[in-house]
Amino acid sequence: MNTSETTRQEADRHASKSWFATIFARPEIGPIGVMLLLFGMLGYFSIPAGEFSWNPFAGEGFNALGIRNNLKVISQLAIIALGAGLLIIAGEFDLSIGSMIGFAGACMAMILRWGFSVIIPYLSFEGGIHLEFFTLLHIPDVSPLGALLITLCFTLFFGWLQGYIVVKSGLPSFIVTLGGLFFLRGLTEVSLRSFNHRPDQAKGATTVTEIPDIKNIVDVPGHGEMEREAAKALPETDLLNILKDVPADTVASLSERLAHTYQRVADAKTAIMTERGVKPLERALENAIESGNEQMVTTIQDKIATFKIDPVVAKSVTDIDIARAYIDTLHSARPIANFFGGDIMEPVFDWLYFPIDWNTNNFGNQFAQGLYSCVMICLIMALLCYVVLSRTQAGNWIYSTGGNLMAAKANGVPTNKVKIALFVFSAFCATIFAACQVFEVNTADAARGNLKELEAIAAAVIGGIVMTGGFGTVLGIIVGAFIFGLAKEAFFYIPGIDGSFYRVFLGLVIVASALLNENIRKRIMGAI
Amino acid sequence: MAISDAAPLVETRNLVKKFGAFTALNGVSLKVYPGEVHALLGDNGAGKSTLIKVLSGVFPATDGEILVEGKAVKFASPRNATEAGIGTVYQDLALNPLSSVTRNFFLGRELTHFSSPFALMKMKEMHRIAAEEMAKIGITITDPEQAVGTMSGGQRQTLAIARAIYFGAKVLILDEPTSALGQKQQMEVLKTIRRVQQLGDIAIILITHNEIHARLIADRFTFLSLGEVIGSGTSKDLEGDDIKRLMAGGAEIGDLAKELAV
Repeated sequence: MNTSETTRQEADRHASKSWFATIFARPEIGPIGVMLLLFGMLGYFSIPAGEFSWNPFAGEGFNALGIRNNLKVISQLAIIALGAGLLIIAGEFDLSIGSMIGFAGACMAMILRWGFSVIIPYLSFEGGIHLEFFTLLHIPDVSPLGALLITLCFTLFFGWLQGYIVVKSGLPSFIVTLGGLFFLRGLTEVSLRSFNHRPDQAKGATTVTEIPDIKNIVDVPGHGEMEREAAKALPETDLLNILKDVPADTVASLSERLAHTYQRVADAKTAIMTERGVKPLERALENAIESGNEQMVTTIQDKIATFKIDPVVAKSVTDIDIARAYIDTLHSARPIANFFGGDIMEPVFDWLYFPIDWNTNNFGNQFAQGLYSCVMICLIMALLCYVVLSRTQAGNWIYSTGGNLMAAKANGVPTNKVKIALFVFSAFCATIFAACQVFEVNTADAARGNLKELEAIAAAVIGGIVMTGGFGTVLGIIVGAFIFGLAKEAFFYIPGIDGSFYRVFLGLVIVASALLNENIRKRIMGAI
Repeated sequence: MAISDAAPLVETRNLVKKFGAFTALNGVSLKVYPGEVHALLGDNGAGKSTLIKVLSGVFPATDGEILVEGKAVKFASPRNATEAGIGTVYQDLALNPLSSVTRNFFLGRELTHFSSPFALMKMKEMHRIAAEEMAKIGITITDPEQAVGTMSGGQRQTLAIARAIYFGAKVLILDEPTSALGQKQQMEVLKTIRRVQQLGDIAIILITHNEIHARLIADRFTFLSLGEVIGSGTSKDLEGDDIKRLMAGGAEIGDLAKELAV
């Protein structure tokens, strides 16, 4: 018998991989590829026809406004996808996210609009049986933080309740949260209709409007707190008084900036008018070339070469303008509302306009003021989720709860608590989403968040979360949200194609991702 | 190797377990010594599973007592048994195949920087301990981040055994560790058991159907049939045919041959 003396061990069969193979074995690599493809598509397809550029940022898709809007859609989706994704990793579903968004938004908006009351209904027998209402508590003016906290009391409780029912009954979370989906949406509509009987609201509407622009309330020196727009519309003498106390260097920089803007606007106007003047000449030139009239051709060419209009003169910067610009720079007096609904990175976007002159629209004005602050909220939440999922004990519990429930239980993992906590977290994410919307647009609508639960689940699946639980990463969820958000925009810019093709594309991507995820799962389970 | 003069690590005295009218265990007495492999043999329905479930705290005993290191103990839950030093490695091993070796090794008992579920795990230390503990009983893992699902059945057994020992098991109950494995991996598992045996201070209760495996590795045998001990002894005391006969519940092989002949 020929036996080899080298002792080959079981472990030797698991060869250590090269860094290249390691990177390509990551479950996120497929989604990241699709994401880069969509980046390219959106960048290049949005470059106007007839122009050519290797720079994907040259088109409309990734100009300052495009970045601002795309990142808003992506990060809002990512916020709820984090909640949905972590729950799927632990082996459960939440279909009530969309309705939770509508409910939370309506709840917050109602509190901001009409205040918060605790009202106890009771049966009265005086003059026939009827319902009477006893107002236990009424707080007319609730701060943004207060509104958010009261809303969280409702939504987190509802998330806890759904989790509790799922864990205690053993029912599929699909059914329990499907109940939540209908229950919350209905409750939102009913509440909004019953509140909208007041004379100041359209009767029976399922919206809340006319909430003040809370994030733009500023403390104007000498006038107290007021909305930014109202401050800018103050009488000119008041504006000049405000400007008196502003430091000289601030005034100087504001005035330099305004001068740049006015010059830039004037230049843009000149360019537009020149183009308007030259266009008919160019058309005439084409005709002349076609008819072969050489004398005509040279005449028109001369005319085009020497075409000139008087350049538009830039507006001069007045003190009133500077005062208004100064009011724009005042910080919000409602930091919580501004945190959810305001903008971030304004200095960077200001700098990109002046002196960089990239963040400039066709009319010479600043394009985007900044990024929506939900981008920052999304980043903070993603970072926290990453740390919890990948680096902490709780993360290990989440993975094992979804990966092998019995094993987790046998090793002392409090699986029921893990699941309930994640249902609560899912409700928390929906509430944060709603807060971003309400404080940004200052309205609420019972239809808000429709189908968002499915978008969140789709983003998680595209990002490599396995539907049966136990596998997936936060990076994957974020990439999934990027793919979902970019697809719509990218397909919009493809010339000669119906924009709805993005849904066709997403449908394919979802199924393909699910197949890929299942393949990865089976490979890890040793079935392939 | 058998150190019969040492005090038993675990002892059961007249253990009785009844499920209603059904008597699963009818007075089972058993002594398990440190550094020994004690094979628990018997046909299906002999009461092996009930015995280990009583020992690991899943069921309370109806009567009789369990002594760990000479002290009488009562287990209200599996947790009590684990705390008393009885580690059970079930057939399904209680592993999460989608997670890494280290994450499974420390599942539910992760090392953290401070006491909170949201405290960061000491990942490097956990990797090191997991690799060391598995190396002690003979399996070197190249990558502690490797998913358990990609490991062989033998390696998974080793992981589960190493985990039980690291977290304080003085008595290791192995429930059919070689069933559902290929020949080679069965040998891997037996080697692992042998290394645990050689550590000297851990007692192993091995439940198996496979008399060959039991003969290869066990120091002491106990045969169960219909809830009672029908024979026991050290490996020296028992002849090959005895084992076969006792495995079959006391029937003579000759009788079986007659039965088969009809």
